[in-house]
Amino acid sequence: MSFSDILNSGKFVVTAEIGPPKGTDIKEMLHHMQVLRGKIDAANITDNQSAVMRICSLAVCKLAMENGLEPVLQMTCRDRNRIGLQSDLLGASVLGIKNVLCMTGDHVSAGDHKQAKPVYDVESVQLLKIVDGLNDGRDMSGNDLKGATDFYQGAVVTPESNPIEPQLIKFGKKVTAGAKFFQTQAVYDMEGFKTFMGHAKKFPVKILAGIVVLKSAGMANFMNKFVPGIKVPQVLIDELKAAGKEKALDTGMDIAARHIKQLKDEAICDGVHIMAIGMEDKVPDIMERAGLL
Amino acid sequence: MIVTTKREFKDLLANIKDYNSFFLIGCSECASLCGTGGEPELEELKEALEKEGKTVTGIFRAKTGCQVLGTKVELKPFKDTIGKTEAIIVMSCGAGTQAAVEIFPDKPVYQSNDTIFLGNMTRYQMFDERCSLCGECILDETGGICPVTACPKGLLNGPCGGTNDGNCEVSQDIKCAWVRIYERLNRIGRLDDMKKTIEPKDWSRGQKPRAMSVRKKEEKKK
Ligand code: SF4
Ligand code: SF4
Repeated sequence: MSFSDILNSGKFVVTAEIGPPKGTDIKEMLHHMQVLRGKIDAANITDNQSAVMRICSLAVCKLAMENGLEPVLQMTCRDRNRIGLQSDLLGASVLGIKNVLCMTGDHVSAGDHKQAKPVYDVESVQLLKIVDGLNDGRDMSGNDLKGATDFYQGAVVTPESNPIEPQLIKFGKKVTAGAKFFQTQAVYDMEGFKTFMGHAKKFPVKILAGIVVLKSAGMANFMNKFVPGIKVPQVLIDELKAAGKEKALDTGMDIAARHIKQLKDEAICDGVHIMAIGMEDKVPDIMERAGLL
Repeated sequence: MIVTTKREFKDLLANIKDYNSFFLIGCSECASLCGTGGEPELEELKEALEKEGKTVTGIFRAKTGCQVLGTKVELKPFKDTIGKTEAIIVMSCGAGTQAAVEIFPDKPVYQSNDTIFLGNMTRYQMFDERCSLCGECILDETGGICPVTACPKGLLNGPCGGTNDGNCEVSQDIKCAWVRIYERLNRIGRLDDMKKTIEPKDWSRGQKPRAMSVRKKEEKKK
């Protein structure tokens, strides 16, 4: 079953993330793929995440398929102009990649090649429209394609963005531009997320809540301070603190599992997107604790 | 105006090391306001060069250094002096430097500044970049605030996920362009403008080198 079929079947969907390594040694990454195989519904392959240069998403999507995972090609507008983006999309299509996540991409100043020229010829909303056009058999300039693509395209949204209204306006534009599913930035405040879902449910799209496992109170504080659009409530920080250093990660996994269970049991959204950031090994454990395996 | 910043003196010295006598040309427009090519800066550079054992045969502040013909006329009285000088140093923007290159095809011309952006002067000698001369203006669709310039990513359809309590993910020192546009549109009762999708820009409008002649059009009409 394709990722879109699974999402449309009403099953509570789980996606995770594979971050391609910097360099050609892919042993660890292949191991992560093995761990996730058969457990998750799809794996996002990140596109030079945080503007740090790594193996390209396209090649790793192909590896993911060979290793039994359904890939979601993350595609940012930072490194390619409209010619490069469309060309890579056609390439992805002939390799059998079905899902694409259209993003703007972190600015080069966040990464390890700060002197690079950022491209941003087009941006996420426009990229979604481009994908829609390719699916219809024409490129951005209106030229006919010899063979159309058949992508299932998604986008991202930050439910805790402050102020929220401009973010919601952009969300609406992404839906109009053809986004079929959304994976959100990490959410920790379930009540706040319900408010966001109250808005999102008015649109015919699938929403996967972003889950980032908290490893410690320090990490939570760091994210609150430095990661835009992430707010870890104080109660959770206190819970991690109370657990002590040794049990902090375990508690963080419990919190993630608890949130996933609540999202599923209360049918708040259509699934979750677990960003394990180096702890892909732990994803099955978290799913088990959430009662999903 | 065109915003310029002084280069390190040692870098200038390295570039001009093959010559000993110089004529300095400043500009009374933007470079004067930026403090990079006005009377005080001309004097200052003259003194610094002399300290290094160089000769300065003359200094002149052009009225508008990027205006080729006008500057050429203004410099006529210095023809002989410049003829006997080895090289010229221009203390304005890159356009001013290239005006001098055109006026003096046989002389080496160096510049003392880096040219950085088209800026608004917000206060005396404080500048902000607000327009990047893209060639296809969308200000009417964005509440009069330019996201091509004010957003480090040049996003055209709303904020990225990096908006941080109204600030920009790239620098906490700047406000998110799209939060500014949102607030402005809200204030003037035009928030619906933000809901319209802006199509990808036609960057060919900014293809370099650009040239324009108002005159030619009129002449053609005749
Ligand atoms: S849209 Fe283009 S022309 Fe208009 S202000 Fe911005 S950069 Fe300048
Ligand atoms: S935070 Fe705002 S100004 Fe900064 S890159 Fe994102 S959209 Fe642009």
